[in-house]
Amino acid sequence: MTLQLQVDQLTWQINGKNILNNITFNLNKGEVLGIIGPNGAGKTSLLRCISNQQQHTKTTSSAGSVYLKGKLIRLYSAKELAQHFAHVAQKAEAIFSLTVMDIARMGLLPHKSLFAIDDDHDKAQIRLALNKVGLAHAENTEFNHLSGGEQQRVLIARALVQRAHILILDEPTNHLDVYYQHQILNLISQLGITVIMTVHDLNLASQYCQRLILLEQGQLVADGRPCEVLTEKLLSQVFKLPCTITHNNKQQGPSVFFSLPAEQLINTAVQNE
Amino acid sequence: MNRPLVVISALVLLIITSAIAGLSFGPLELTNNEIFQCVLFNCANEITDMVIWQVRVPRVLVALVAGMGLAIAGAILQNTTRNPLADPYLFGIVSGAGLGATIANLVLSHELSIALPLAAFLGALFAITIVVLIANVLQRMEQLLLAGVAVSFMLAAITQFILYFGEPFATNRVIFWLMGSLSRVEMSNFYVITGVLVISLIVITALHRQIDALLLGDESAASLGVNVNRLRLLMLGLCAALTATIVAYCGGIGFVGLMIPHIVRQIIGVTTLKLVIGSALIGGSFLIWVDIIARSALSNAEIPIGIITSALGSIFFLFIMVRSKNTR
Repeated sequence: MTLQLQVDQLTWQINGKNILNNITFNLNKGEVLGIIGPNGAGKTSLLRCISNQQQHTKTTSSAGSVYLKGKLIRLYSAKELAQHFAHVAQKAEAIFSLTVMDIARMGLLPHKSLFAIDDDHDKAQIRLALNKVGLAHAENTEFNHLSGGEQQRVLIARALVQRAHILILDEPTNHLDVYYQHQILNLISQLGITVIMTVHDLNLASQYCQRLILLEQGQLVADGRPCEVLTEKLLSQVFKLPCTITHNNKQQGPSVFFSLPAEQLINTAVQNE
Repeated sequence: MNRPLVVISALVLLIITSAIAGLSFGPLELTNNEIFQCVLFNCANEITDMVIWQVRVPRVLVALVAGMGLAIAGAILQNTTRNPLADPYLFGIVSGAGLGATIANLVLSHELSIALPLAAFLGALFAITIVVLIANVLQRMEQLLLAGVAVSFMLAAITQFILYFGEPFATNRVIFWLMGSLSRVEMSNFYVITGVLVISLIVITALHRQIDALLLGDESAASLGVNVNRLRLLMLGLCAALTATIVAYCGGIGFVGLMIPHIVRQIIGVTTLKLVIGSALIGGSFLIWVDIIARSALSNAEIPIGIITSALGSIFFLFIMVRSKNTR
């Protein structure tokens, strides 16, 4: 296995409060890594720090290091970073009537010099990427006319055109129904490139990630295969809810089921009344 | 041949036709043959030579590049701010130019042919510098536009205050200049505007992919390696210089930067290169025709060009609003 990314004692503070605290882990080439944890655990901040996209202001400070292919990440230029990392947001809102082709074409940017125009190779690359995400037929369709799942596939196509080595996704299935959630995650897991994504749905994370990192209040509390991280003890402790784990299908990873304690259910019902 | 290429070829033809029409209209009646003879070979007499080369050619050429420049500035501002209503005028450029022109009128009552455009240009740059400084502090797009509007109103208030207490003739001159006109333009104006336009086009061509990346949001552009704040400030400065140069020579010509990119998006495309090429071609033709209307609508007087563009612009936007309501 080739080591691609090393995160070494990473700390990120905003207004003196630790958002990430002493995080250390490595990532190998081709791994699909899921970052899980409750709201406010620092998942999105970790994604940003890994790819050097965090906003530095007077109220923020950081410690520790991130290495990409053995080189400190802050020594890379913004353009070089864009050649290594491709980001897929939860949701993108295109202004004006951008087409699928227009958006996929944006992926060429980190590889192009100032006055360069698109050549035949670029066009073939865009078509290949659209073909890979199943949108070859829709290249002239307006992005805003597509469904949420199709929009996510366009953004993944843009990431493929970007030819990045690491794909970063922040809650890629947040706005999608069950069908599209599985479609997108299945597509991502079969791309064959290194993936780091934050996932809220633990069952999806279990099913599609080879490895999981569990965060709680900025600290890394577990790192391993889904069956090692998704344990009743750990999840009950981090999510503060009783948890049941079942192992129905070994290929799909463990299934997670949370339930509210009886007294809390009664309290909620009374409050609702 | 793909659609944008067909449309662009048609628009180039439209520019040529518009320029020929621009040379034909005027108090002195000239046949097309006389105009062609005069432009390509020798003029029939001294009067024709003077009318064509000293009046109509500079006027058509300045209308062409001014229309191109205003439309390009609007297109770039709209794409970089992700706001279809962004316009060079929203950033205080004309108010700044108006203040500069007012001060020049009061301080230098003679030598105005040089002082007025120079003062207008400096006033416009002063306005945009304030907006950029505020933008640097705020770092947010919605607030940048609001800052532009605020600066615009403040400078207009100062101008009106000075005019209210100023000499009536100077006030008249400034008010007429603010309405926009191509009646006093010269070939030297064309060269200056063309110079700024060419520099702007080179910079835009170099950065068109980065501007396109902004269309999907700041975070998305930053992840593609774009320095969003630096790019936006550079484009704001470029549009300010382009608009200030045009306003300095032609006065206030509103709505071109707002209206033309809107039309281009419907017929050519939304990405920067397509939008800029289309806006330049339609904007250039549009202002030539507006100038033709300005000088031929009334038999004994010329209508200020800014009045016509504002009237057409407001009708256009009402039409767009009604159409979008009907298609909803």
